[in-house]
Amino acid sequence: MNRRTVTRSLVALAVGGLALVGASQPAAAQEIQITGPLAGAPAVRKLRLHREGRFEVAPAVSFTLLDEYRRTLFAGGRLQYNVKDWLGIGVWGAFGALQTTTDLTDQIDKQALRNSRTASNVSGKPGADQFKSQVGQIDWVAAPQVQFVPFRGKLSLFQNIFVDTDAYLHLGVAFAGVKERGDCGGQGQPLCTTPQSFTAVSRTAVAPTFGLGLNFYTGNLVSIGIEYRALPFSWNRGGFDSRGAGPNGKYPNGLAGSPVVNSEDRTFKFNQMVTLAVGFSLPTKPKSSD
Amino acid sequence: MKQTKPDGQLSSGQSRKCAAFERCQRRTPVERWGKSALSAILCLGLALWGSDALAQKKGGKPKPAPAAPAAAPAAPAGGEISLDEEPAKPTADTPAAPAAAGGGEGGICEIDPSACPKAEDVKKAAGREVKQDLYAVQQIYALRARRVELNPYWSQTLNDQFVAHPGPGLALNYYLSNVLAIGLNGTYYTNFDSSFNADVRRSARVAVPLNEYLANANLNFSYVPVYGKFAGFGDFIFHFDAYVVGGVGGLWTRPIAVIDPDNRKFDWKPKIAFNAGVGLRIFFNRWFAAMLEVRDYVYQEELESLTLAATQQKQQDPGTWFGDKQLTNNVQAQLGISVFLPFSWEYRLPK
Repeated sequence: MNRRTVTRSLVALAVGGLALVGASQPAAAQEIQITGPLAGAPAVRKLRLHREGRFEVAPAVSFTLLDEYRRTLFAGGRLQYNVKDWLGIGVWGAFGALQTTTDLTDQIDKQALRNSRTASNVSGKPGADQFKSQVGQIDWVAAPQVQFVPFRGKLSLFQNIFVDTDAYLHLGVAFAGVKERGDCGGQGQPLCTTPQSFTAVSRTAVAPTFGLGLNFYTGNLVSIGIEYRALPFSWNRGGFDSRGAGPNGKYPNGLAGSPVVNSEDRTFKFNQMVTLAVGFSLPTKPKSSD
Repeated sequence: MKQTKPDGQLSSGQSRKCAAFERCQRRTPVERWGKSALSAILCLGLALWGSDALAQKKGGKPKPAPAAPAAAPAAPAGGEISLDEEPAKPTADTPAAPAAAGGGEGGICEIDPSACPKAEDVKKAAGREVKQDLYAVQQIYALRARRVELNPYWSQTLNDQFVAHPGPGLALNYYLSNVLAIGLNGTYYTNFDSSFNADVRRSARVAVPLNEYLANANLNFSYVPVYGKFAGFGDFIFHFDAYVVGGVGGLWTRPIAVIDPDNRKFDWKPKIAFNAGVGLRIFFNRWFAAMLEVRDYVYQEELESLTLAATQQKQQDPGTWFGDKQLTNNVQAQLGISVFLPFSWEYRLPK
């Protein structure tokens, strides 16, 4: 089936849809206006202030997304003091409790040819399970941050269960403990084809961190949260010599002579993760608004 | 929660007049059929006379027995009418209700003779059908039942780090009820081969089979179990709902030739794709909303063969181009707007 046929099908779908719209029954145009004692009243009265003036301790687990070589499950938590119901200051921290390789990493380990062309990029023998040791990983993250809570409300589940909920944005600076292949090929450094050149070394990357989340308050003390976090920074995830030579340094040094692995081989990655947390707020009883 | 509720709407005058009668109905939903005769008489009397009794404050002193007959069944004389208690039987001190509407002192008939209830009004109200269900949340801000949702969106790949498939899409849903919809959606994809693939090929001499998408079209069912409202900055209120969606359709894909691009030219082929997802809609008004949906389209992908045929002639044979089949998840985020048609409606029940 070619692109034209599919395009025709989609157009037919759209036309059918518009026909359905046209055939829908009309409805009377009348809205209920707020009158009486509610007219001009504030949007919310007696709002339970789940945050204001309370400390929150929230153990959490985080799952990384869109990983190329290695997935990480972080265990950690958030410690926060909420100055206002709409503003909190705190720190989020986690360590990589579980690291697993992706199928790509496993396939490279098994399938990649070991010859002069790949000697500086792929370690070990095929199937020796050594390639994963040169693949980058994030060991820990600590992020001082602020939370803004612009939206506060409640939701109904199956027209029956009601849960106080807020939606927030968080913004901070993250310090990430990264382990990646060490420098090689430079002056005073091992050649990139030697086994010791594939040893991973640790460094601390500094990056902005931001995202958004939802908190569901199941009671005065306990809340359940889900959060998206971005942590963009550059690092050498594969441990390859992939940059440093040619126009704009976009080609590997190995093409121009001897391979070099250094900070130029770090490429930008929009690191992302999803976090699930259970929050405990103190004091145990929240205040309420007027 | 069960409670009787009037099915139709009444004018405000009629509502006031029938209030007492309705409360009687609510009070004894089980017993009222067994005691219908007694209740009807009591309520009739209450409805025809009781407006001034309802307006009295709790704990008021008993009035002396009026010259004209008082609303006898309406609880302690001079006090608030307690509809949770069995009405007192008429005694010599509290004679039965007057037969004539508006009889006696005061009452709605003196204030507004045009609103004075008539016996036939009460009979008509009593004969109405009642709806037993009373929802936990009434007068949902944006009703969906029997409305069409037009939903253009932009789709973004969430789980393919090798080839991104962003593209526009359109969904059309018809809500059979307030929580259940049937609909169609289609997405037109563009494809961006990540530079990361070239890096892997160049560095490790390993080629990852890649695929690109043309479009998809699906038949879906949506269910809306969650809805609620938020206060924005403690000032304005906006409403939202969350839904689950699932369906089946076709996804047109083909491999990107990376193993033998000189000989292999793949055509688009449709694959059956099942999908499931969750979404969130934020309403700006009663017909316009922003939406975000995450949906997983699961299908059987045909990958490019990783091996080359031995001869040039066989290498040009399309039968040798395909390799493994792999169950593939195409998870995408769909961000867009929703327009509900018709734009407005009339609530069946008053607020």
